[in-house]
Amino acid sequence: MPTIAARNKENALFAANRAVGRVVVTAHAVGAVTRRTRVNESGSLRVRFPNAFDGELEAVLVNTAGGVAGGDRFAVDVTLGEGARLMVTSAAAEKVYRALGPQAEIDLKLDIGPGAALRWLPQETILFDQARLTRRIEVDLAPDARLLLAETLVLGRSAMGEAVAQGHVFDRWRVRRGGRLVFAEALRLDGAIAAQLAEKAVAGGAVALATVLIAPGDDSLVARVRALGDSFRGDVAASCWNGLAVVRCLALDGAVLRHDLTIALAAVSDAPLPRLWIN
Amino acid sequence: MAWLSPSYPVGAFSYSGGVEWAVEAGDITDRVTLERWLAVVIGQGGGFCDAVFFVHAHRAVTAKDDVALREVAELAAAFAPSKERHLETTAQGAAFVQATRAAWACAALDTLTSVCDGPVAYPVAVGVASAGHGIALEAALGAYLHAVTANLISAGVRLIPLGQTDGQRALAAMEKVAAATAARALVTKLDDVGGAALRADLASMHHETQYTRLFRS
Repeated sequence: MPTIAARNKENALFAANRAVGRVVVTAHAVGAVTRRTRVNESGSLRVRFPNAFDGELEAVLVNTAGGVAGGDRFAVDVTLGEGARLMVTSAAAEKVYRALGPQAEIDLKLDIGPGAALRWLPQETILFDQARLTRRIEVDLAPDARLLLAETLVLGRSAMGEAVAQGHVFDRWRVRRGGRLVFAEALRLDGAIAAQLAEKAVAGGAVALATVLIAPGDDSLVARVRALGDSFRGDVAASCWNGLAVVRCLALDGAVLRHDLTIALAAVSDAPLPRLWIN
Repeated sequence: MAWLSPSYPVGAFSYSGGVEWAVEAGDITDRVTLERWLAVVIGQGGGFCDAVFFVHAHRAVTAKDDVALREVAELAAAFAPSKERHLETTAQGAAFVQATRAAWACAALDTLTSVCDGPVAYPVAVGVASAGHGIALEAALGAYLHAVTANLISAGVRLIPLGQTDGQRALAAMEKVAAATAARALVTKLDDVGGAALRADLASMHHETQYTRLFRS
């Protein structure tokens, strides 16, 4: 049996070896185009700006650590000045591995100024068995800012026979418009996740889920998603209230979810989806 | 408690929290499937989250902490997963505040209306009134969860349909779930509130397009 002191030392060493990564991007409109005005990268998180189309800048997040392990802490801060237009995606799906000790933490802060538009379209976040993740998403919208945000969680790659038998997920979303809280939710799954997902009122066996937020949202966006009804392979529903439209997708695996999400996003987005996505 | 009786004028009977769609879709077909669905809704869905809001609203009033009251009121009103669940909680919240200020006025409800300039969620309204009238938190929360559960079972009884005896059996079976949910809500920080009743949330969205409907949610 290691002594308490030895174990504390081991834990401290483990913690010191965990990855920390942070990307800060600020962009502003300069005439008809959007330019990045501040980019900070630290740890294993990187951001590349491969393209700009029709005045919208494209940013691609890259995690050079190749995934997220227990105790890792990643943060992305995006600030858009007046009239700026940015699309953010990721180079690959983010994998959250088994955590032996403390949980992994991911913090996203998206601050979208007057008349600015953000399309936040990263690839999936895939959780492995015994993963422990807390993610916090904070969005601050100017009253006339535009947002299209899609986040996907895959709780076990079911097509590969994998499941999250045990784990912890706390995914906390807060959206403010003009300083006022207009949307909040949190997904909390703890313990025997696969068994909980099997419950009909939880997920009915689905393991892949996506939430799409659209601001400003209106009933015509909801109607466009509903019109796709027969094309969806999983369960997709849409609604609009508080000036936001929300689309929720559930599917038996990540591939079905990506199919449904891709056609839903194509129906509501005013610009093409990231090429990295469609490959 | 008169405030939580089905005859209190908040229109509780007109909301099903998505149960109407779950029956239509075949997810709820009998007493057993109703109980399983509601065990998730109460224990891991809107029931649990509303219980957490109830607890924090009650405590904010008791502590005379207007900042905390405003915070829980804002969060509870923003926490709906769909248009109809937003209507369900804010319409009942508004009706409860109005009826209770008229017949059972208390300073706490006046404070709530002055610190909260947006819509009031139902659990916040009931939590505030309970604290304002000195009703102990545990007792008030238990009554609230019982009323919410009974209302959803009543919707199931009408929709499936079930006999009244099966409705009472379901209510008895849900007592344990409600008690465990209340116990967890009492020790949950406001910032940690959350749930996992994903298909219940989708059901409330699908309900918007249901062709024949008895309920507003």
